[in-house]
Amino acid sequence: MQGFALYPFDPPGDVAALRAELRAWLAVNQPQGDIVARANCWASFDADFSRALGAAGYIGMTLPERYGGGDRHPLERYVVIEELLAAGAPVGAHWIADRQTGPLIQRYGSEEQRECYLPGIAKGELYACIGLSEPGAGSDLAAVRTTARETAEGWRINGQKIWTTGAHFSHIMLALVRTEEGSERNAGLSQLLIDLDTPGITIRPIIDMAGHHDFNEVFFDDVLVPHGALVGMRGQGWQQVTAELGLERSGPERYLSSHALLVALIDAAGAQPEPAVAALIGELAAEMWTLRQLSMSTAAKLAAGEDPMVEASVVKELGNAFEQDMPRRVQAIVTSGWDEPDNLARLLRALLIASPSFSLRGGTREVIRGIIARGLGLR
Amino acid sequence: MSAAREMLCDTARAVFAEAATAGMGPIAEAGFALLLVPEDEGGFGGDWGDVNAVLQIAGAMVPDLPVAELIVSEALQPAATVSLMAGAMGQALALSIEHVNTRQQFGRPLGKFQAVQQSLAVMACEVRAVEAAAAALATRLDAVGLDPAAADFEIAAAKLRANRAVGVVTAIAHQVHGAIGFTREYDLNRVTIPLMRWRGAHGNDAYWALILGRQVAEFGGEGLWEALTAR
Repeated sequence: MQGFALYPFDPPGDVAALRAELRAWLAVNQPQGDIVARANCWASFDADFSRALGAAGYIGMTLPERYGGGDRHPLERYVVIEELLAAGAPVGAHWIADRQTGPLIQRYGSEEQRECYLPGIAKGELYACIGLSEPGAGSDLAAVRTTARETAEGWRINGQKIWTTGAHFSHIMLALVRTEEGSERNAGLSQLLIDLDTPGITIRPIIDMAGHHDFNEVFFDDVLVPHGALVGMRGQGWQQVTAELGLERSGPERYLSSHALLVALIDAAGAQPEPAVAALIGELAAEMWTLRQLSMSTAAKLAAGEDPMVEASVVKELGNAFEQDMPRRVQAIVTSGWDEPDNLARLLRALLIASPSFSLRGGTREVIRGIIARGLGLR
Repeated sequence: MSAAREMLCDTARAVFAEAATAGMGPIAEAGFALLLVPEDEGGFGGDWGDVNAVLQIAGAMVPDLPVAELIVSEALQPAATVSLMAGAMGQALALSIEHVNTRQQFGRPLGKFQAVQQSLAVMACEVRAVEAAAAALATRLDAVGLDPAAADFEIAAAKLRANRAVGVVTAIAHQVHGAIGFTREYDLNRVTIPLMRWRGAHGNDAYWALILGRQVAEFGGEGLWEALTAR
């Protein structure tokens, strides 16, 4: 890994106007909702909001117009995403479809798949989940064992996915499955686009330690999907997933998930905070500013058609650390009862409980550091 | 990087290599004092992007020489120090990678051990963060004509972030080097000792955290995001 070159973040068009339009739109259309739902808001499901956002042209922005997209530049989309996250808008329903499934279908999918799925995604009506992890394949993703065998009628799928965020409200799953019999590790894998109402699929909730139902177990019992469910090249699933993960790891959600807590801290501290609180706010602001520069630079590199795998991992690693650190440091300095009803206390409690997942989802800290180490030329 | 800046960097590397033993003489002779002086006044007409590039090389190669003082006014010394720190951290990382890929223990290079890999990944993240902070600060300073008052948020944030990286970077660099890194002869201390010094120079953590925290408090909770995105 050479020295870090900051890629200039330079979206086309009038960025200030884009922000202003979206802020005005949010002022009218963002549900007031609960303050806690504004933190970690990319896990907040609100189908009405997603539909309205799609109708306003803020979903599927980079997809071609002929599929209902906006034909916008990826960095314009980045601006919109960071605004939505900073505002704490409930973007959870369409989040995965917009962030990675749509772009992946656009890049690797067939014409038929694009026509079938992209318009619904862009409208904020078609939701997607990612079928990667399995009981025996977590950090070791190449251990995937769910199989799909090609038959005369189509693909027959057997196996199980787990920790599948949003499977219970999603319409489709983009699954990594083993299509080549006898294949091992990262060879012989393919991506299938599976309609989740296909017979033979069972979805069971897993309740997380915060009491939320975000992730699920998904069972495939002799599930038959058409030949046309294959996305991209047969046997190229590993390479396609790796590209997908680059989209997943570097976005502004890696440092803006806890923004609502920072806002609440600043507001609670007032215009003239005591020195210790001011110092904490200063340190958090410096970290957030730095992370934003790293994330924008990574987005710019991605938009330039380059592979920012290592940079994306740096953003995720530092972003996760920042967001796990913030509630702990706020709790250490602010007097606030565990069960207090005020905003700061409730956000603090919610994020303390949610934050262990930050360095698990989208690749564990240890895996991410391994990717960075490889980028440094070690091992 | 522009061709002009590439050439500037090549010159800096050559001159600083000489200056490492000869002192400030070659640097003064090469005209680095004129880096920020406009071309129509007989200078190089460089911007802060150029200063950042040159000072990162200085931070790696001649951290004990007053190169920043030669090029930059007093008001911009905190910003200059961020660039020096980024350069020194990059050098500490490069030395560490080189060492763990070469030094063998238990029959293999240290870099094969996951514990070492994970440590160096943590260190690399800190170095990248400081490099990004230095680059973003340069972008801001160039956008506001090098007016430190107009880049007050960025100077505070970048110097604070760089300060906070020093502990992790120096600790991991020395840890993975083992005893050889603790000798006077080996090159690592030539960048780690300056890093320790720069953390306290031109504003330590507490100094900048308080300034930045008070500025952000005046923005208010919602105002922080508006201010960040308006700059």
